[in-house]
Amino acid sequence: MKDFILKRMAAIILPFICVYGFYVILHGHVSPGGSFAGGIIVGLSLIAYSTIYGIAKGRAKLPEKVLVWTESYGTLWYGLMGMVGIVKGVPFLANKLAGVNLGNPGTLSSGGLISLIGFGVGIRVASTMVTLFFTMMEE
Amino acid sequence: MKELFGKLIMNYPYFAAAILFMIGALTVLTRSDLLKKLIGINIMESAIFLIFVAGGNIRGGVAPLLSKANSGAVYVNPLPSALMLTGIVVSVSVTAFALALIVRLHRAYGTIDLQRIAELRSEVAMDDSNHHT
Amino acid sequence: MTATIIPDLPVFVVIAPLFVAFVLPTFARRMRLVEALVILVGILGFLGALYLASLVFAQKGSPLIYSLGGWQAPWGIELKAGNLGALFLLVVTGVSLPVSLFAKGNLAQEVGGKERSARFYVLYLLLGGALAGMAVTNDLFNVFVLVEVVTLSCCGLVSARNHPRAAEAAFKYLIMATLGSTLVMGGIGFIYMITGHLNMEFAARELASIWQHSPHVVWMALSFILVGFGVKAAVFPLHVWLPDAHSTAPSPASAILSGLAVKGYLICLLKFLYNVFGSALMQEFAVDRILVLAGAVAIIAGSILALSQDELKRRLAYSTVAQVGYIVLGLGLLNRQGLAGTLFYLASHAVIKSTLFLAAGAIIAATGKKKVSELSGIGRKMPLTMAAFTIGSLGLIGLPLFSGFVGKWYLLLGSIETGKPLPTVVVIAGSILCATYLLPVIRRAYFEPAPDTTNADWQDPQDPGFSQKLALILLAAIVVLLGVVPGPLLELAKRAAAELLLLQ
Repeated sequence: MKDFILKRMAAIILPFICVYGFYVILHGHVSPGGSFAGGIIVGLSLIAYSTIYGIAKGRAKLPEKVLVWTESYGTLWYGLMGMVGIVKGVPFLANKLAGVNLGNPGTLSSGGLISLIGFGVGIRVASTMVTLFFTMMEE
Repeated sequence: MKELFGKLIMNYPYFAAAILFMIGALTVLTRSDLLKKLIGINIMESAIFLIFVAGGNIRGGVAPLLSKANSGAVYVNPLPSALMLTGIVVSVSVTAFALALIVRLHRAYGTIDLQRIAELRSEVAMDDSNHHT
Repeated sequence: MTATIIPDLPVFVVIAPLFVAFVLPTFARRMRLVEALVILVGILGFLGALYLASLVFAQKGSPLIYSLGGWQAPWGIELKAGNLGALFLLVVTGVSLPVSLFAKGNLAQEVGGKERSARFYVLYLLLGGALAGMAVTNDLFNVFVLVEVVTLSCCGLVSARNHPRAAEAAFKYLIMATLGSTLVMGGIGFIYMITGHLNMEFAARELASIWQHSPHVVWMALSFILVGFGVKAAVFPLHVWLPDAHSTAPSPASAILSGLAVKGYLICLLKFLYNVFGSALMQEFAVDRILVLAGAVAIIAGSILALSQDELKRRLAYSTVAQVGYIVLGLGLLNRQGLAGTLFYLASHAVIKSTLFLAAGAIIAATGKKKVSELSGIGRKMPLTMAAFTIGSLGLIGLPLFSGFVGKWYLLLGSIETGKPLPTVVVIAGSILCATYLLPVIRRAYFEPAPDTTNADWQDPQDPGFSQKLALILLAAIVVLLGVVPGPLLELAKRAAAELLLLQ
C-alpha cells in the first residue's frame, strides 16, 4: 500500500511516455530526436515500470527471450529495409532511388524508408537499454 | 597581445576541451581504481565530443530546422552533432561493457583496485606453483 | 540473381557477417546451426572476396566504388574496393574461415558452455564484418565506427573465457583501446575542421592545398592519429595491453586478434597516412622517419621480450609486437618495393600468426601445458600440429619457400633503396632474433625425449579432431603456397603500393 500514489501515477503516465517515445522514433527526420533518442525514451519507460512495480514483474512482462528477439530482429529489420534498394537494382539503403514515394516535406511520409528504418533501430535501442538494466540489476 | 587574448577568449570551447582531455588522460593513467579509470575515459571522450560540436558551431546560427520562421538564417553545421551522437552511443556501450567487467572482477577478487588485484593474482600464482611441486 | 548481386558485392561482404551476427542470439541453443551459419558466411565471404579481387585485378587500377543509398561522394558514404581493399578483404576472409573451422572443434570446452560459445560466434562475426568494412571504407568517420566495433568485439572475445584473469586482461585492453580510439576520433575531428570533408579523397585534396595555412592543426591531427592507432596496433612502447589480452583469450580468438584485428588497425593507419595526408605531407612532417624509428625499436624490443617468455602463447603475443614493428617500419619507407613488401608481409603474418596460435592452442588443449619448457617430445605425440607450428615458425623467420620470405625480401629491397643503414640492419637482425625465440620450441618438441608417460598428469596427447586438423592444414598450406607462388597477391600488393604512393 505504501507506493500507492507512485503506482497509480505510473499507470497513468508510463503509457504516454512509451507512446511519446515511439512518436520521437518515427518523426526523427522532421523533428529533433530520432530513433536513438526515441528508443531511449521507450526503454526508460520500461525501466521505470520495472523499478516501480518490482524487477520480478518487469521481468515477467519482458522475459529474456523477448528482449533477445526484439534486439536481433530490430537490427535485421534495418538490414531488410536497406535491401529494398538492392532488390530494386539501386544501392543499399537507397530511399528515393528505390522508388519510394516521398510525400510532402514536413510530414511523416516525407522520410520514405527512414521512419521504418528508425523503427527497427528504436526497438533495438529500447531493448538494449532494458537488457542492460536487467543485467546490472540481476548481477 | 590584446588581439591574442581576444582570440583565446573567443575560442574558449577548445580550451575547455583541452583541459577536460588532460584531466581525463591523467585520471586514466594515474588512478589504479577501475571505476575512476572508466570515469577518466568518459571525461576524455566528452572532451573530444566538445571539440567536434564546437567545430560545427557558428556564432549566432540557429538549429538547422527548415521552417518559415527562420528561412534565410545561418544554420549551424548539424553533421558534427550527428556524428557525436554516434560517438556517445559508442561511449555508452564501452561504459556498459567495462562496468560488467568490473562487476566480474569484483566478484572474483573482492576489490576493484588494479594494484590490489595484481598483488592477489601473484599470490594465487605462487600458491598454484607451490601446489604443483 | 547473380547480375543483381555482383555490383553490390562490396557492401555484401561487410553486411552479411554483421546481420548474421545480429540474428545469431535467437537460436543460441542450436549449436550445430550456429556453427554451420558461421562457416557458411565464411565460405561465402571468401568467395565474394576472391571474385572482388579478380574484378579489381582485371580492371587494372580503377577501383569499384559503391555509394551507400545512392548519395554521391562528398555527401554520402562511399565504399571503395581498390587494390588495397581487395588485398585486405582476401586476408580477412581467408584467415577467418580456417579459424572458424578450428573453433568448431573445442570452443565449448575452452569458453565454458554452449551459451557462451554462441556469444563468442556473435562477436566473431561482428569482428569479421567490421574488419571487412575497414578494408573497403573510404570515409573517415566510418573508420572510427568500425574501429570501435572491432575494439568492443575484441574485448568481448578476450573476456570470453570464464576466468578472472580474462576479465582483467579485457579491462586493461578496453581502457587502452578506448584511449586510442578517443585519440583517433580527435584526429578525425581536426581533419574535418580544417578540410570540411569526411570522404578520404576529398579531405586529401583539400588538405594538400590548405595545410600550409594551419600546420599546427595538421600536426595535432597527425600526432593524435599516430598515437591512437599506435596504441591500438600495439606499436612498441604502447603495447602493454597486448601480451595479456592475446595470451588469455581462447585460442581461436588469439589467432584472430593477433592475425587480423591488429592488421585492421594498421590498414586504417595506412589509409589515413597515405590516402588522407599523402606521402608528400608525411615527408614534410617527418612522419616517415618517426615510423621507421618506431618500427625498428619495436622489432628489436619485441623480439627480446619474446625471448624471455616461457609461456608459449605469451611468447607468440610478444612476437606479434615485433612483427607489427616490421609493418610500421615498412610504412615509413615510402618507396614502392618497401610498401609492396609491407602489404605482402601484413598478409603473410596474418596467416602465419593464426597458424602458430591455433597450433599452440591445440597443444595446450591436448596437454594442459602452457610453458615452452614443458613441451619436450610433443612433436612425436602430435605430429600434424607440430608440423603446422614448424611451417609457421619457418615462415615467420623468413626462410625461402615460405610466405614470410617474400615480404621480408621486398622490405629489404625497399630498405636498401632508402639508402639508410638502420632499416636494412634491423630487418635482418629481426629475422635472426625471431629464429632465436622460435627454434628452441621446435628443437624441444622434436629432439628431446618425452617425459615419462607413467607420470599421472601427462595423459597421452594426440592430434586434435578433424575440423581442427583441417584448419591447421589449410593455414599451413597457405603459408607454403604464398611462399612458392606469391604471384597474384604480390602483384596486388605492388599495384596497391603504386596507387598509394601516387605512382603509375
